[in-house]
Amino acid sequence: MTVSRREFLKASVVVVGVPWLGLAPAAAAAADPPRKGGTLRVGFYIEAQTMDPHLSGSKIDRQVYHNIYEPLVTLDTRLGVKPGLAESWTQPDPKTLVFKLRRGVKFHDGTDFNAEAAKFNIERMKTEPKSVRKGEVANIDTVDVVDSHTIRVNLKKPDAALLATLTDRAGMMVSPKVVQERGAELGRNAKGAGTGPFEFVEWVRDSHLIIKRNDAYWNKQGGPYLDRVRYRPIPDDVVKLQSLQSGEIDVMDYVQPRDVAAVKADKNVVVVDVPSLADFAYQLNLTRPPFNNKALRQAVASALDLEQIVKGVWLNVGVAANGPIPPTSWAYDRSIAPIKRDLAKAKAKLAEGGQPNGFTFTMTTNNIPINVQEAEVMQAQLAEAGIVAKVKLVDSATLIADGNNKNFEMISFQWSGRPDPDGNTYQFLRTTPGTSFNWSGISNPQIDALLDRTREISNQAERRKLYSELTKLLQDELPMLFIIHPIEPKAFSPRVQNYEAIPDGMMRFKDVWMR
Amino acid sequence: MARLVLQRLAATVPVLLLVTAGVFALLHLTPGDPIDAMMAESADATAKASLRAELGLDRPLHVQYVAWMGRLLRGDLGHSIRNGEPVLENVSRRIRPSLQLALLAMAISLLVAFPVGIASAVRRNTSVDRVGTTFALFGICMPNFLLALLLIFLFGVTLRWLPISGYVDPAEELVDGLRSLALPAVTLGLALAAVVTRTLRSSMLEALTEDYVRTARAKGLSEWRVVRGHVLRNALIPVVTVLGLQLGTLIGGAVITEYVFALPGIGRLVVDGVFARDYPLVQGVVLLIAVGFIASNLVVDLLYGLIDPRIRHR
Amino acid sequence: MASSTLASATADRRWEVLRRAAGARLAPFGAAVLLVAVITALAAPLVAPHDPLRQNLGNALARPGRAHLLGTDNVGRDVMSRVIWGTRVSLLAGFLSVAIAALAGSLLGVVAGYAGGRVDGLVMRLMDAVLSFPPLVLALALGAVLGAGLTGVLIALGVVYTPTFARLMRGQVLAVKARDYVDAARALGAPGWRIAWHYVMPNAATPIVVQASLSVAFAILAEASLSFLGLGIQPPEASWGSMINAGRGYLQQAPWIVFGPGAALFITVVGLNFVGDAVRDALDPRARD
Repeated sequence: MTVSRREFLKASVVVVGVPWLGLAPAAAAAADPPRKGGTLRVGFYIEAQTMDPHLSGSKIDRQVYHNIYEPLVTLDTRLGVKPGLAESWTQPDPKTLVFKLRRGVKFHDGTDFNAEAAKFNIERMKTEPKSVRKGEVANIDTVDVVDSHTIRVNLKKPDAALLATLTDRAGMMVSPKVVQERGAELGRNAKGAGTGPFEFVEWVRDSHLIIKRNDAYWNKQGGPYLDRVRYRPIPDDVVKLQSLQSGEIDVMDYVQPRDVAAVKADKNVVVVDVPSLADFAYQLNLTRPPFNNKALRQAVASALDLEQIVKGVWLNVGVAANGPIPPTSWAYDRSIAPIKRDLAKAKAKLAEGGQPNGFTFTMTTNNIPINVQEAEVMQAQLAEAGIVAKVKLVDSATLIADGNNKNFEMISFQWSGRPDPDGNTYQFLRTTPGTSFNWSGISNPQIDALLDRTREISNQAERRKLYSELTKLLQDELPMLFIIHPIEPKAFSPRVQNYEAIPDGMMRFKDVWMR
Repeated sequence: MARLVLQRLAATVPVLLLVTAGVFALLHLTPGDPIDAMMAESADATAKASLRAELGLDRPLHVQYVAWMGRLLRGDLGHSIRNGEPVLENVSRRIRPSLQLALLAMAISLLVAFPVGIASAVRRNTSVDRVGTTFALFGICMPNFLLALLLIFLFGVTLRWLPISGYVDPAEELVDGLRSLALPAVTLGLALAAVVTRTLRSSMLEALTEDYVRTARAKGLSEWRVVRGHVLRNALIPVVTVLGLQLGTLIGGAVITEYVFALPGIGRLVVDGVFARDYPLVQGVVLLIAVGFIASNLVVDLLYGLIDPRIRHR
Repeated sequence: MASSTLASATADRRWEVLRRAAGARLAPFGAAVLLVAVITALAAPLVAPHDPLRQNLGNALARPGRAHLLGTDNVGRDVMSRVIWGTRVSLLAGFLSVAIAALAGSLLGVVAGYAGGRVDGLVMRLMDAVLSFPPLVLALALGAVLGAGLTGVLIALGVVYTPTFARLMRGQVLAVKARDYVDAARALGAPGWRIAWHYVMPNAATPIVVQASLSVAFAILAEASLSFLGLGIQPPEASWGSMINAGRGYLQQAPWIVFGPGAALFITVVGLNFVGDAVRDALDPRARD
């Protein structure tokens, strides 16, 4: 069963989060009991990098992790935080979190998961030299073992966003025994390392990665049902789609917007629209001309037609953005409209900025087809206001280097998104000296104050108000031009049942079964 | 003869030195670095800095170059930054599919080129010849990415006879393996067939004008026996030369084919390495490819010298 | 592209035998294609029915018809016009890169051949090094260093083709150097560069021109391949290769986006090959035996 894009968009914009998204919802599934068995073949766009979640910096690794490892807390379909390996938690004061851990959970190597193990993991994230999680757990000061299944996490500062961060890699628990015995080998071989519904079997780089059902999984409700899951990297998305259509794979992680209509019409394939947490934008360099001039930034913003970009380039596989926070988030404020095109205003702003006849600038973007198309459409839109945009195509490594070194005027920035709105805002907009994701170089005391406050208070309604204020401020200051919150359509063979889509885009196969 | 070999070998050393300097300089001139590429979603400056220091990437360039050369002389090609495995291990894992693909493509090209080339030469200037020559020309002019797209569309999606992506090792599973390599091998093989056809035809034409052929014909031998007995053997020399030289290009240069058909080969390894700024990997692989290229050239030249005594004593 | 001097010498001779056998008829076809291509490239603004850059998102992926002879692409641009304008880019890339390589290679070859000794050794080792470098990696890395765009492609292709010309020129220089009239000129006290200019160049020019004309077709193919991999022309301009790359995802829905530039590329390369062969036939004195 497919959920049409339109229904989906309406649902996601009007209601914050949707009760269910996925294939064969609970009601229909009651008629068909899940069947154990089968190998699910999944096609991904690139190869994974490491099987060690504390050292991982790549998005694709997470797809495998969410099946073999488990975090302390996890996400529900509405991006709410629910129990994972931690059964419950309390916050006696703003700088302390006490987690009660689940009992009877064993790692795949047979050792127990307990408070010592949790403490070991958190400390490893903080102290392991190559740990990529350091920044994410920076606010954690120390961890105390209260009893065999309770830990107390002491924070340096109040951090309302920490719980959401712990739903991903930063909260994932690895068997201390495996870490101590295997060391760096863990990156290649994760046998016995996790607690999840599946366990690692083998990984032949650039060929396949196999995980198999964990029959000793602690959660006896529902799955896992599949015998095995086989991941395969297929970098070419045209070939990937053809592989799905010809039955060589059963699942595809992403359908390109241009293929969505055709794939939805194909009876051999089922498409699920997963509205994501992502925001795709362009950062403007505020440290030098021309965009150190606010009026010129506003001129460009008014000359762009976001609706046309979303419709013509992204084919409505996504929603025009009003700021960094996606519609899937509880912090999204739908009363703030995306910036509307206004050529008259653009011309006025040009005059205000001292360039009544327009100006020229260079936009740097990644050399992939859809980015190129978007750049070309934007070029045409800006030209109508007399603004000449030259396009500079670069590869990813160059893009990152240019961004970090502020060697750009306008640069593409596509952020995959985080469950807490803090993950989509703080590190990009807070004044930060040195290299950071604040590529635009924005340093605005009002924005800084707002961001700091969002971390201090934990009341969701209050934080929401702050984020609304931030969004309005950003539409005026414009350190970034937010374009779209994309939908990430995933495609399946009709044999695949009971996939529940969570907006973080991670494919969790615990309750999935195959006809 | 031995002196010739030694001379040639000695001459390759400066070339290899230039290649190492060239690839090192070129790579380090490209903007961006492997750490940024690997940790794209993290802005953790201290983690990145410590990783850089650990890999020695923060040292001055000439120091890094000397260090790399030092390791090279000890036979250590270093470790890939992306996956931490030794470069040699990465290469040996990825060379298998490329080698198998190259050999299969060569086999296909010979299967096509032999009948066409011989027929064209023997039936020179007739319509058979024209068809053959035209086919040869079209094969060379057809962009290989276009051919790959057409083949995928026809055999993979429409007819669904053959798999269009992924690699199965024929050494492990013969039938599935050959099927997975079929389309890419045909893509490469047809282009190669065109070159081989052309070479075979012209070398046969040349051989056919030799005196001994006229003698054989005068003796009353049938055309076919003349061809098979004398002409073909001599005409094969340039063909073998061409194939030998193409082997190197096939292995390292079938990048587009490997991309389009999702084959884990060496061409893709090195191109992905360039995009990821995986310095040790790219440097190591380029060096190996250069060595392979120089070695195959050397072997061909020496074989030529052996076969043709006129050349040996130049 | 790369072969030992021995193999290429024999291949040369074989090749022209083949050409003589089948060449005469096809040369006019090749010349016709080249003429059409050059005229199209020069007169693109006049010949193209639509503005190649004008987008019309409402009419994207339209089938070929009266309004758009080759249909429209994914943002509604007329494919026919883009193919026509693409001729400029492809021909420019092909001719210029070969010109760069011929110039650079010839210079290096003259220096090496004339100076001899260590200079010769160094230059030739350098050329060998470039030849053994995998060309695609070289082009990719150069592209990343120089920035994608026509300039990067020209330089990358120029570098890759230079050794061929260098070797050729060097061989010619060595041959001429040994001739009597050069000795005589030197005995009369003529300076080196004058000897080079008056005696070496005219004789060397022929094989260089022949090689250049043969290389152009391959240079155009190489540019298309580079564009296919994402290097090359910056949007919104397009070369045939980048059009094929951009249209690849639409192969099932709108194959004309790929086949328009694909056919143009193929026909041009075939035609240029014929012309190259005809040039060789006409200029290469060895063909006259």
